[in-house]
Amino acid sequence: MKRILANALFFWLVLVISQNAEAQTGNEIIKKVNDLMNQESLFSKSKMLIQTSSGQVRKFEYDSWGRDHNEKTLIRYTSPRRAKGQAILMRNNADDIWMFFPRTNRVRKMATHAKRQKMEGSDFSYEDMGSGDSFIVDFRTTLLGTENVGDESCYKLELKRKSGSSSAYRKILIWSSKRDFHPLKMEYFENEETHPTKLLTLSEIKIIQGVPTAKKMVMQDLLDGTQTELLLQEIKYGVRLEEKMFTERGLRQ
Amino acid sequence: MREKLLRDFAKLHAAKPLLMLGLTLLLTVLLGYFSADLRTTMRWADLLPEDDPRTIEYNEIVNEFTAASSIAVVVQGEEHRIKAFAEFLAPKLRVLTDPTDGKSLVKRVDYKQEVDFIRNHGMMLLKTKYLKNTQDIFKDPNLRPFLTNLNNSLEKEYVGKSESISGREKEDRAVDFLDGVEFFVASLQKAISYEGIEKNNIEHAVERILLGDPYFMSYDKNVLILNVIPTFTAVDMKKVMVGVSAVQTTLDKAIMDYPDIEAGLTGMLPLVHDEVVYSEQSLGYTSVIALIGIFFLLAITLRMWSAPGLAILNLLVGIIWAMGATAIVVGELNIFTSMMAVILLGLGIDFSIHLISTFSEFRSLRYSIENAMVEAFLKSGKGILTGGLTTFAAFFTLVISSSRGMKEMGIVTALGLLMILLTTFIFLPSLLVFRERRMERSFLKKKKPVKPKDVSFKSLGMLSGFLGRKYGFTIMASIAATLIFGFYANKITFDQNYMNMQPKGLTSVVLQDTVLERFDLSMDYALILADSPDEAREMAKKIKKRGTVAITEDISLYFPDHEAQVARAEIIQGVKARIEESKVNAQLANHAIDDIVQELNRLEMNIMEMQDLAYLGGQDKVDRKCTEIVGSPNQEGQPRIIFDLVQKIMQNPELAHAGFESYQRWFAPHFKTTALQMASVSPIELKDLPESVFDRYANETRDKFLLTVFPNNSVWEDLDYLDRFTNDLQTVSNQATGMPIVFIALIEVVGKDGRNAVILTLIVVFLLLWFDFRNPTYALIAMIPLTVGIFWMVGLMTLFGMQLTVINVMGLPMVIGIGIDYGVHVLHRWQTEGMGKINVVYAGTGKAIFLTSLTTMLAFGSLMFSVWPGFASLGSAMFIGVGACFLTTVLVLTGILGWYERYSYRQEVKDVKV
Repeated sequence: MKRILANALFFWLVLVISQNAEAQTGNEIIKKVNDLMNQESLFSKSKMLIQTSSGQVRKFEYDSWGRDHNEKTLIRYTSPRRAKGQAILMRNNADDIWMFFPRTNRVRKMATHAKRQKMEGSDFSYEDMGSGDSFIVDFRTTLLGTENVGDESCYKLELKRKSGSSSAYRKILIWSSKRDFHPLKMEYFENEETHPTKLLTLSEIKIIQGVPTAKKMVMQDLLDGTQTELLLQEIKYGVRLEEKMFTERGLRQ
Repeated sequence: MREKLLRDFAKLHAAKPLLMLGLTLLLTVLLGYFSADLRTTMRWADLLPEDDPRTIEYNEIVNEFTAASSIAVVVQGEEHRIKAFAEFLAPKLRVLTDPTDGKSLVKRVDYKQEVDFIRNHGMMLLKTKYLKNTQDIFKDPNLRPFLTNLNNSLEKEYVGKSESISGREKEDRAVDFLDGVEFFVASLQKAISYEGIEKNNIEHAVERILLGDPYFMSYDKNVLILNVIPTFTAVDMKKVMVGVSAVQTTLDKAIMDYPDIEAGLTGMLPLVHDEVVYSEQSLGYTSVIALIGIFFLLAITLRMWSAPGLAILNLLVGIIWAMGATAIVVGELNIFTSMMAVILLGLGIDFSIHLISTFSEFRSLRYSIENAMVEAFLKSGKGILTGGLTTFAAFFTLVISSSRGMKEMGIVTALGLLMILLTTFIFLPSLLVFRERRMERSFLKKKKPVKPKDVSFKSLGMLSGFLGRKYGFTIMASIAATLIFGFYANKITFDQNYMNMQPKGLTSVVLQDTVLERFDLSMDYALILADSPDEAREMAKKIKKRGTVAITEDISLYFPDHEAQVARAEIIQGVKARIEESKVNAQLANHAIDDIVQELNRLEMNIMEMQDLAYLGGQDKVDRKCTEIVGSPNQEGQPRIIFDLVQKIMQNPELAHAGFESYQRWFAPHFKTTALQMASVSPIELKDLPESVFDRYANETRDKFLLTVFPNNSVWEDLDYLDRFTNDLQTVSNQATGMPIVFIALIEVVGKDGRNAVILTLIVVFLLLWFDFRNPTYALIAMIPLTVGIFWMVGLMTLFGMQLTVINVMGLPMVIGIGIDYGVHVLHRWQTEGMGKINVVYAGTGKAIFLTSLTTMLAFGSLMFSVWPGFASLGSAMFIGVGACFLTTVLVLTGILGWYERYSYRQEVKDVKV
């Protein structure tokens, strides 16, 4: 009897230890992913292609600045002419969003739940674009194992929303490269959906200033059957950005 | 036994031609009488199996909901003119009657919203969140505070909230809102211009803001739709033809008084009507083209005029018999069988050609009429009978098909062939006897000898003889060609685009595109039946969340659920109290003009920001509507109606003050009355709904409710999209139906039926040939040109850039039915002539096959001129298929016969040596 109890205890200990090890590993990986995706500060130029409600494809170009590991993000449209100067400021990991309209020279604060909305007709939401370290703050991560994406061996991570989080996603699955931890594929699950509602594919990973960076991101809305392509044209990490840039006044400039 | 019968029958013709002609006349009159009742239906749903749940559901909806099969009158022109035209036309349409029975044809004409119902329950019908955000609008009827409230509501609901205009329903609501603002601003402009104050215009402005535009208008306000709800359904084809024609005639007359506008019909019934009319016309002229072509072809190749005439006469009589028999057995023609006349032209002429050809051949050898007829019956009659009955059996096997279209196609074609086979044995020989006797009489009179004509094809015989002798080369070349064509055949794709099946250029088809473009509404919607309004509402709520759905329509648009009504009633109570408290001011305060200017500037900026958001978000309709009000930042000099209004006010503030004061005198009381009417808190019960709403969304017994689901894209341009749309529909009901679903189901069923039909037909044909030749090897040899021909046909179709379609897939079993004759005739003649006479076989029978191929290709080829792409695709496929079978009969079969002769010869030599 004692022997059985001892064996049971041993197996229980092994199970607990292995689960902890796995949880730690999952956490470690997501931390690395998070650090990689949210550098201290950055400036980038991007191109985005969206589909209008009449079925036409519209191309936008914008500059964006991120500070404090993307806790603050500023996006300013540069092209086409009609959109030039319009800007979006996201603070507190996109919990607070402001918009600037150069035609009227007015700044509008957007509703609190706006982070869940699609950002300007794209399949990216404000949350996808400016949620900072949301992977760590809003989710609990488990390492599900390893899986290949194309030829690349990846960690498969499951992120489950913590209670009280304002994230729109119930669950996110991330496949991040074992080589450099850069995510290559992400599946987003919304509240009631059992299947992923969005799929983000990251490709053309280049090392820029020592940071693996995806030059191309394609977000597919699996319910609508639409997709948005985001092409990174230029990026600089570690740029010096003033705090005042990420204020209402900074938004107007 | 068969020979004796044929011989006796041939002799009977020679002895008593008048008797046979009398019999023919009698049968023609009788069957012609029945054929007059033959109707055509062009509904795709009629092709599906009757027990298919999608067909049952579709037919149930079409039968029970007259609104599901309406006639849409699409009117295009300037906004005020098309509205006036709608008012002018609608009463004329309502009183249309059927001239044959005097019964009314039109149940209702819908071209406006249920204005009275909306007026009495307006706020209760607004979405709770929207009502909450926009409630301020209703609270004060006086001009200045109204403008402030308008801005407040606009900012709460729209400005800085891209979500409020994202999605079709919200985008439409935003466009309606802006439309009201635009009309209101325009009416303010009038008020301060020298045009003067018009009570009507001001009251319209109030209603446009609070109730929206009552007419069914396109986004650009240049197209209006009147939905004519008939008293009959799409199933009653006779009424459809009369009803649509009556509406078209009325429209044509009415439009003479409005020469500046354009109008036409579309929707399910006009499409069905036009398809019947145009397919009949199209088949009519293609048949004439085919007949003329066949006549000249035969006249040139046979070098005689009268015999081709007789062949065509025989064919026409056969077609009358076939139509009469079809009317008795099937009752009506469907999309497939509507081509029966052309199909029978192509298939049936072969019998006459074989008989005439052989008869002429023996007459040229100076046989007597009787003996030539006996020889023709013996030499060709057997082949005609075997070929005819084999083709008959090939088509008849289609009755095992699950689809009604294919099944009826089998019955109608088999029956038709049988009729033409009968006329070829009953009618044609007597005609030939008469013709020969007349020629003999003419010879006796003129004392001129009748010149015997050698009508065989010596060159074809020589070529075939050569190919037979060089069988190794022939067989190798045939294998190589078959491999190449087989490779391409494997690449053939199926055209699943229903739009490619519709005739191009038809008004009803063109207007479908107009509706899609101007209303952003596809007419290829899906239909779902619900057992209650609650079920319809729940399904609508669920399906609206799916990515492929633009909007839904069902009774819940007018009948919100209890919880929503309670929540809204609470808000409405507050709004109502504020309206009741508000006072209608007869005068404007002194400083009011400054406030008005300030609010108008604010309004312009709000709309500009809304426009910028819409542009970034890709909400084109909102962007365009905003552009009408505030101009476009891209284009200088575009009208900015709010800015212009402000400029006018600033130019002459006193005049503006006086104008607005007069404006308010009409605006405020009407606004208050209307807002109060809309603020009714009494719950909406099902029984409160207007009859027209029930008519649109419920059946007559009010126990079934219709949910219409509009896709947000054209379902035919991207088939993955169509799949996603149908999958989305499955999430709420597995009995969703409608044109897209019916057509996809049809492709599925017809594709499966087509494949099964080809396999089964080949088996049946093989068994029949085995029985006929009493030798399985000969049966197989006879089938080789056909089997190889099918590969060549499909390979050539791919090479010519063609696709299989739901119509031309019928060509495959038809080519089997036609192509099998070629092998059978050659093999029969080859058996009769004996070994080593391939050249003789092909010079005689080959000529007949050449002619029959050409005539069949001509008959089917004439379909290529059809306005109906479906028919044209069948015509092209058959043209290629029949040509391919002829080529394989000459190129492949000669090699095999050559090899077989050599093989048999060696066997015989071996046997002799042994």
